[in-house]
Amino acid sequence: MLKESILYESVGELAKRIETKQLSPVELTEAYLERSQKLGPQLNAYARLMPVEALDQARAAEKDIHRGHYRGPLHGIPYAAKDLLAVKGVQTTWGAKPFAEQVFDYNATVIEHLKNVGAVLLGKAAMIELAGGLGYMYASASLQGETRNPWDTSCWTCGSSSGSGAIVAAGLAGFAIGTETWGSIVCPSAFCGVSGFRPTYGRVSRHGAMALCYSLDKIGPLARSAEDCTRIFAAIAGHDPLDRSTLAVDKAAFTNSPAGDLKRRGLRVGWLTNAWKEYEPGVGKAIQAAHKILPRHFASVRDAELPEGPWEDAAGVVLQAEVASSFGELIRSGRVKELHDPLGRVGGYVNLTVTGGDYTTAQRVREILQKKMDTLFDSYDVLATAALPAAATPLITNLITGLAFPDPLGAIGNLCGLPALSVPCGFTEKNLPVGLQFIGRAGDDAAVLEAGQTFQRATQWHRKHPKLA
Amino acid sequence: MDWGLYSCGYRSDGSGVLRMNNSKGRKIDRREFARKAALLSAAMVPAGMAFEGPAAAAINEQLPEGAEKLSAEGRVEAAARFQQIMSQYGSRFDGEEQKRVRDGCYSLQGTLERLRAFHLENGDAPALYLKPLLEREKKPQSAPAAGAAPAAAKKP
Repeated sequence: MLKESILYESVGELAKRIETKQLSPVELTEAYLERSQKLGPQLNAYARLMPVEALDQARAAEKDIHRGHYRGPLHGIPYAAKDLLAVKGVQTTWGAKPFAEQVFDYNATVIEHLKNVGAVLLGKAAMIELAGGLGYMYASASLQGETRNPWDTSCWTCGSSSGSGAIVAAGLAGFAIGTETWGSIVCPSAFCGVSGFRPTYGRVSRHGAMALCYSLDKIGPLARSAEDCTRIFAAIAGHDPLDRSTLAVDKAAFTNSPAGDLKRRGLRVGWLTNAWKEYEPGVGKAIQAAHKILPRHFASVRDAELPEGPWEDAAGVVLQAEVASSFGELIRSGRVKELHDPLGRVGGYVNLTVTGGDYTTAQRVREILQKKMDTLFDSYDVLATAALPAAATPLITNLITGLAFPDPLGAIGNLCGLPALSVPCGFTEKNLPVGLQFIGRAGDDAAVLEAGQTFQRATQWHRKHPKLA
Repeated sequence: MDWGLYSCGYRSDGSGVLRMNNSKGRKIDRREFARKAALLSAAMVPAGMAFEGPAAAAINEQLPEGAEKLSAEGRVEAAARFQQIMSQYGSRFDGEEQKRVRDGCYSLQGTLERLRAFHLENGDAPALYLKPLLEREKKPQSAPAAGAAPAAAKKP
């Protein structure tokens, strides 16, 4: 039986053990499965565990490694994938009742990439129904029910990659894959105290992923450290002819090598002074402490400001209009009524009324914003601020009234397709994690990942884990 | 954040100040508002299709919180938006759901007013580009995804 501490090791640490044959991928998979079977239901973390398939993959990995065919740091590492990624022959529910029996006969490209590097798929992570695309007001907006935060099971993990955050925080897998349209990787990472990376739009193929908002959806890892995110990102990034929104071959690919994309350059940090109107007291304290240590580890840290404008409004209109199309049939047919959340059941009807003119105006505003942000990055390599101004909320919170705040940074980051990383940077007085966010220029994912690694070389917050019974 | 506060038009109103006032500061009273809304929605909805439910009509006359920040035309547009939804789909909603739809319509209106107030030049093009499907892209030589070509999911 493996010690719990091993299950909380980073991918890098586990990989070292696996490569040197000190740790068997089968043993590791069995241990994560056992823990997932015990704790997963308590947290509502999984949509589905796949023990038979996972053990088959683990045995194959072990066989390969013993033959001397080691494929790299993800070989034999168990992971979970958000339940909106197609896995051949396995139910892919999108977290929603109308799609509860849906089965695809192919794998999403991300699943294929991870299969090719020998990662072991343990199961499908729970998620908010349809990634929250039609709106939701309660944490329970999911086919799997509300996902409980491993740091305090009376609190939520945030969404929509709810299960992915819980699985990594609770040590139920080596890492997880999530997706973000607006906040769905950054928020669960912050609430769960894990490292979560939202790549530049177009670097990771979305073929086989549920489409929510075609021009905003991104796929990325949630893991124990920024270094792990870097490894996983290197495995899943790349142009895909099956997803025409992916960047060209030379712009999409990412190499995890100091000599490659990560150049160990001295990073100039812009500390955002206008991203959040106010912080929850516990969050503000942790963020101030993180701010204080940055100058010791980065080339420069200077105050920076986001441009002013109707960015949230533009992002909202883009999202609403595209969701009206991606789920138009569900709304018009009336099957949207099968969704769990009372807001999700009606929100789509409002989306249907957004006009083409207003959508195009939002896209014109978006183009202007992209240029403004690109100019801002002439002065800074990365921007930094809190991932969120609040920590995890109680499960029963009405999100409309209890977790509503202006989010220009989320709007800007996602409208412009900018890479972002949330890393743990402390705890509130209630022992709930707080996240620090780094945001980079489009395409400069390396700077964001490097900033996270730099911060984590100087801190130990990412090594803290919840105590679970 | 895509937990949904934005995706259907429901959101906190702390993110911005209305910068446009099509009414040029002119106040509109509730009676005039209701008359304009009725006229506009009648013009938009084909005869015989209007949803005549008394609950929907009553709900439409009650302005949701924050609606007073909208311009007069904006309020009319929001009311017409609500009426349009009720005309097509009104029978699907109970009273509580109608209120949520109405609130969403007014919230969306605030979003649109702020967005439309942003100054754009004619030449400011949208972030939408056609990527012509070039001949060489039609048949990828080797797809990284080793799976079969995408097929439709088995419908639930």
